[in-house]
Amino acid sequence: MNALFVITGLGIVSLLAEFGNLKRWLTAFVLVGLTAAVILAALDWNTTQRYFSDMLVFDNQALAFTALISISTILWFWLSVDYFATQTHRTDRTSLVIFAVVGSVIMASFNNMAMLFLGIEILSMSLYVLAGSRKDSLSSTEAAFKYFLMGSFATGFLLFGIALIYGATGSFHIHTIAQTIAANPAGLPTFFYAGVLLMLIGLAFKISAVPFHFWAPDVYSGSPTTVTAFMSTVVKVAAIGAFIRIFSSCFVAVESTWSLVLQVIMILTLVIPNITAVYQNNVKRMLAYSSVGHVGYILLAFVSSPTETGTIFYYLTTYSVSSLAAFSVLHLVEGNSEEITVDYFNGLFKKNSWLAVTITIALLSLAGIPPLAGFFGKYMVFAQAINHGYTSLVIVAVITSLIGVYYYFRIIIAMYFNESSAPSITLTASQKMLLFVLIALTFALGLFPDVIMTLFRA
Amino acid sequence: MTLNAFYFLSFLAIMSAIMVVLSKNPVYSVLYLIITFFCIAGHYTLMNAQFLAIVHIIVYAGAIMVLFLYVIMLLNLNKESEPHKSNVLKFAATICAGLIMLVLIGSLKGTENMLQQQPAAADIGLVKTLGKVMFTEFLLPFEITSVLLLAAMVGAVMLGKPESR
Repeated sequence: MNALFVITGLGIVSLLAEFGNLKRWLTAFVLVGLTAAVILAALDWNTTQRYFSDMLVFDNQALAFTALISISTILWFWLSVDYFATQTHRTDRTSLVIFAVVGSVIMASFNNMAMLFLGIEILSMSLYVLAGSRKDSLSSTEAAFKYFLMGSFATGFLLFGIALIYGATGSFHIHTIAQTIAANPAGLPTFFYAGVLLMLIGLAFKISAVPFHFWAPDVYSGSPTTVTAFMSTVVKVAAIGAFIRIFSSCFVAVESTWSLVLQVIMILTLVIPNITAVYQNNVKRMLAYSSVGHVGYILLAFVSSPTETGTIFYYLTTYSVSSLAAFSVLHLVEGNSEEITVDYFNGLFKKNSWLAVTITIALLSLAGIPPLAGFFGKYMVFAQAINHGYTSLVIVAVITSLIGVYYYFRIIIAMYFNESSAPSITLTASQKMLLFVLIALTFALGLFPDVIMTLFRA
Repeated sequence: MTLNAFYFLSFLAIMSAIMVVLSKNPVYSVLYLIITFFCIAGHYTLMNAQFLAIVHIIVYAGAIMVLFLYVIMLLNLNKESEPHKSNVLKFAATICAGLIMLVLIGSLKGTENMLQQQPAAADIGLVKTLGKVMFTEFLLPFEITSVLLLAAMVGAVMLGKPESR
């Protein structure tokens, strides 16, 4: 909760920074604040605290997600320095990003449906605007508008589901709902189950699971690249955090209602985006489809054992770090152009070996090649699924990750074997440092997965 | 008396909801939608939720309808500019809506035995009762809403402000 207070305060402070000459110090101040939030979350570790009549409960899972969200945001601020270089919108953009983080933290720690709804709305409202923040670009405006329409539609499903569940159980508190389910072994009224499925649909929109993913490629490729990086890391972590929080604690007792539906969604999420990504020539679109595909692996871990959240958290961590590395290189290579195709990467190794090596490591990690972080993420997911007897689903997942290797290698081959006459890109010391930190994190997470996995072992 | 009012309001609500979909002129659709909203507000009053009824009229029939009318007038819709929808699309939409209706009717069928379980208090819909809940149990959502509104306001200003000075 203290972390949430600090982050909310940061958002308001960054609005006030418009006064005087405080703007210059804004990014530094935000970074200090987010670091403080991480430390505060770490200090609360192992003390499950309930706030404001159980509206928010900061248990270890919530604290871990809060820390992951804050750390990803710090790294994101580092990679997107030039996004805040404009004079006019610096404070607005900063505060909107911070408010999105506030929404994410609420989504990771809610214990009440009202808070879930508010968290999702705060996050989405900020993102609709950030997606359209490149105002002179038509595709950015299109992305914002599409995101807004699809997001509102999804919120409608979510609210309808919440209303039906409230009607059946008489409570918004997820623990009270769980108790009501336990107290009625004969079953609740039928519309409770309809409500659970409607909530599943609403949240599937937010985590962009197939067949509710149609907005994702357009929004990801239309938004400014830095905002896309934010969406595919921080926002995805928050959405999945909210999803597993409600489905692993409250609805796990009615698993038979949603388990089969979620398995079908999971298989579709593994197969369709990974095959579609093969045909993309726009790298941002390819990464968008790959990010939808990664949701499939997370859902596989969730379907096989809804209460073991450690694997999902580890997968999300590795995925966020690798994605941030991939997007930071993408952002540097892209320059000022609107659409970035695979050809942009031609001969990158000869011109900028740093960039080429970083994105190679990031893509290999996303593809799941040992000894990088992504491999161990996938390995743990598969191991968990096999332990619980979902071997056939694992075979599907292995085949789709092989397809993944194919399209990731298209970029890698272009970098090492193709020639290009484009000038090389000059990197600042800070950018080099960032790339180094991201590579180091990708290796460290792969070599020491236990650092994260032990957090979730009671 | 209450039962008669219920049937009258339900009839009016369903008829005007059908007219929203069927009328050719979008402005008429909006006007029928206002009637639907007023009927639903009447239902709220019958269910002893006075505050909800008033809010429903102010927000939906007031603010949102004005917005709708405004947008329709700005779009300048007429028969020529109306986008053509293929029959396949219409068919798919009908099937989807019909399926959702089936699910909802089916799931609401089992609710009869629930009604007696929780008799509502007489003052449940009054502003006083609502305020008590809002400022005690639901204090945090109430306060966090301010962040939502602030984010929306900052976003609106940011989209509206010109890029360079």
